[in-house]
Amino acid sequence: MSEKENTQFLGRTLFLGILQFVLLLLLLGRMYYLQIFEGNYYHLLAEGNRIATRPLIPLRGQIYDRHKSPLAQNEASFRAVLLTDKKDKIEEVLDTLSGLIALSFEEREEVLKLAQKKRGFDSIIVKDNLSWPEISAIELHVADLPGISIEVGSVRKYPEILNGAHLLGYIASPSEKEQEEDSMLTIPGLKVGKVGLEKYYDVRLRGLPGHSAFEVNAKRKIVRDLHQVASIPGEDVHLTLDARLQAYAQETLSSYESASAVVIDIQNGDILTLVSTPSFDPNLFPRGISHTDWLKLRDNPYVPLTNKAISGLYPPGSTLKPFVTLAALHSGVIDENSTIHCPGYMFVGTHKFHCYRKTGHGSVNFSRAVAESCDVFFYEIGKKVDIDLLSTVYQDFGLGRAGFEGLPHSKKGLVPTKNWKKEEKSANWTVSDTVQTSIGQGYMLATPLELVVAMARLAGGGKRLVPRLEDQGTVSFQDMGYEQKYIKAILETMNATVNKPSGTAFRWRIPIEGMEMAGKTGTSQVRRITLQQRKAGQTKTAHLPWKYREHGLFLGYAPAHKPRYAIVVVIEHAGGASLAVQAARDILLKAQFLEKETVL
Amino acid sequence: MTTEMVSSLFQKLSRLNWGIVSLVFLISAIGWILLISAAGGDIHLWAFKQMLRFAVGVVIMFSIALIDLRWWLHFSYIFYGFSLVLLCGVELSGFIGMGAQRWIDLYIIQLQPSELMKIALVMALARYFHSQRLPLPFHKLFFPLCLIFIPVMLLLRQPDLGTAMVLMMAGGALFFLAGVSIWIFGIVLISIGASLPILWSFLHEYQKKRVLMFFDPSQDSLGAGYHITQSKIALGSGGMWGKGYMQGTQASLNFLPEKQTDFIFTLLCEEWGFMGGSFLLSLYALLIIACFRIIFTTQDDFGRFVAAGMTLLFFLYVFINVAMVMGLLPVVGIPLPLVSYGGTAMLTLLMGFGFILNVGLHRTLKIPRFSIGVF
Repeated sequence: MSEKENTQFLGRTLFLGILQFVLLLLLLGRMYYLQIFEGNYYHLLAEGNRIATRPLIPLRGQIYDRHKSPLAQNEASFRAVLLTDKKDKIEEVLDTLSGLIALSFEEREEVLKLAQKKRGFDSIIVKDNLSWPEISAIELHVADLPGISIEVGSVRKYPEILNGAHLLGYIASPSEKEQEEDSMLTIPGLKVGKVGLEKYYDVRLRGLPGHSAFEVNAKRKIVRDLHQVASIPGEDVHLTLDARLQAYAQETLSSYESASAVVIDIQNGDILTLVSTPSFDPNLFPRGISHTDWLKLRDNPYVPLTNKAISGLYPPGSTLKPFVTLAALHSGVIDENSTIHCPGYMFVGTHKFHCYRKTGHGSVNFSRAVAESCDVFFYEIGKKVDIDLLSTVYQDFGLGRAGFEGLPHSKKGLVPTKNWKKEEKSANWTVSDTVQTSIGQGYMLATPLELVVAMARLAGGGKRLVPRLEDQGTVSFQDMGYEQKYIKAILETMNATVNKPSGTAFRWRIPIEGMEMAGKTGTSQVRRITLQQRKAGQTKTAHLPWKYREHGLFLGYAPAHKPRYAIVVVIEHAGGASLAVQAARDILLKAQFLEKETVL
Repeated sequence: MTTEMVSSLFQKLSRLNWGIVSLVFLISAIGWILLISAAGGDIHLWAFKQMLRFAVGVVIMFSIALIDLRWWLHFSYIFYGFSLVLLCGVELSGFIGMGAQRWIDLYIIQLQPSELMKIALVMALARYFHSQRLPLPFHKLFFPLCLIFIPVMLLLRQPDLGTAMVLMMAGGALFFLAGVSIWIFGIVLISIGASLPILWSFLHEYQKKRVLMFFDPSQDSLGAGYHITQSKIALGSGGMWGKGYMQGTQASLNFLPEKQTDFIFTLLCEEWGFMGGSFLLSLYALLIIACFRIIFTTQDDFGRFVAAGMTLLFFLYVFINVAMVMGLLPVVGIPLPLVSYGGTAMLTLLMGFGFILNVGLHRTLKIPRFSIGVF
């Protein structure tokens, strides 16, 4: 090798040496990047590899009535669980298992599908709610069922079947949408309140899930336990509801196709009963309702899934007459002595409005007008009273207002005003509209809950009572500023309605001293009676097809001289108010008897 | 013929480069410590066997170092021929191990001819370059190119992509040192680039997968990309100081694949952190620098080509392995030199160091270009 070549060799060797040095520095840099710069990120990944957690589902809070009897409680349920350690044997195990317990094809496919997804320590629920014979069959053959074990879980139980189904609602597995909104719901096995109070109080009832953490190896086998964070059970909820009265009201109303009733304590706003019929068995849901059962409920013409007491919108009809009277007295349109002549009909413009009594009431004051339900008296008031003033009084008493914010399906009624009509109907308010509104027809709509709140506010002496589902201690309600003498006089007319022989509800009074009922009947037209029908003598609707008949309403309270319980009963398409009055009488009587029992 | 007479054995021993020897021992000892951790504290599973192999390897290393360099010059083609025959033997009688035909059963030990081939190729090329007037004229490149490509082709058939790449790179580097024009390198690189699609079709499905996975390991983190992903997690999670000896969760819970062999550097980094990793890399760098000192100070062409070739092989092992576990290169199955569990790779490397030590002993020796004779 010449000198020149030698220099070249040494030069190139140096080049290779430097290249190697640079490459080693590159490795060092990469190592620095991974370990120091991204070290925390990879540390998290390594921990994620190492630590697996299993959620611990909190025990759902229970719901009690005012006397601490359970309305929704947790019951132990036993389920067969499969550990997915031995994947290859799953089919075999399921074959053996289906010989012991009823295992449908769908359930089997579901297990196989889950087994594909899950690894190692994860467990799959094969069959929930095992019966005792099933449990013992599995226990007996446990040697032939590798991976199968029996776990104790809890299932929601609603002890008083059919009572309070609507108000309580039910729980079920969360939907995908709910899971998107609340990541806590992605925990497998956690149930969520779907409707009713179970949903209203869901966050409180749910509690906080805990978890137990394990160290697992690459095959997802548990190496050791790390730690446990216990779940926090959900809060119990104590309702103002009286389960016995609720059950009684439910039974009373169940003789009608479709009805609802609410009883409220005038002293404090406690909701004692809130019933809607037909009802359904809430126990169907927590375990997963079958498709046929679901369709049956969904397609029932009497809509059993809807809570009519809070979401049913009805024209209140004559039940509003006490409030119209108050508005008229309050605004000075009439005084206690004003009388009006009722010929049995009245013209507003060219339209003929008919009275409840075809032959007319003759000369009536407000007291007789309410008690005997004279429509013409109220048509006359309606012509004089300003609609916006009337609406203000309606709203003061909670119409179009009362309801529970957040309670599923809770609706608000409609109290029309001049502005409302301009905006919604693009038309001016007419006297005819006022006349209709004054007898609770036309645009006017209210829910049973709103009606009973209005009743309670009136019977309570014009105080702004607030309905409540939970006892939050003593309350005092603000006075709304209506003249006590007017209120007393109006309440007296409601007393007369039931307890005077000329009153519309006299036949169904409570003849026990100190327990008398007062109130106001109402029928609300679903369809106008046509001129032809009227000429043919059809003014009653009892013989029409069910869905065209009038709704029967009763708004009342008891005892008549010392108001304690306010009630509303709405019987859909009853054809008249008498059934509603009877039901209200029975329920109010029961409420007062129960009170005595409790005191004793 | 000037003869530097053979002194006594002890004299020779005392003149050995003990720096290199002690670095080799130190790095191997780190390996044993890591193997104990990889086995969860069990010495017998891997570490003890590795020590025995090291003992055998060290004896071979010293033997190679002490034999006269001219003797090795003389036998280099024969050695190459022998290795080539073994490599063909794998084709004929080798059995399937780890999905690739790489091993040949010599009844006592399982031999990997591809490992021997690395040594043999370096020696054969060194001898050829020694025998020629440098720089080589164009037509004289054909023979050394054949020396490289025959074993490369055989290895690709096995298929052993990693070793084939190492052979090509080591061979190429020796061509570079032999003064082959930069232009020729350029042309060769371009033609290799052009033939890549053809080479691609020769690859096995799993090799293609590994290469593809290298570009996007997250795509299939439970399948073929699993190795790389888990390795990066283990390495990255070590941080500055590591999780502590035998505390590596990725390793002990078996998330880290092949933790005692190809991925042992990751185990080191997980348990000893950036500090441990850079310490080992520094030891490797020191060892390479020591080897380069020998290359620079050696007079004889054969000697310095051999030393350069062996150093390069060693460097390639280190670089490819470490780059691979850090996700910079595809997973090709190259162990971390002197540290990874396994006999043949260590044997090759210790033989390589034997030759480097040998050259270091014979620094001042100058073998005439055309003397094929025995001393």
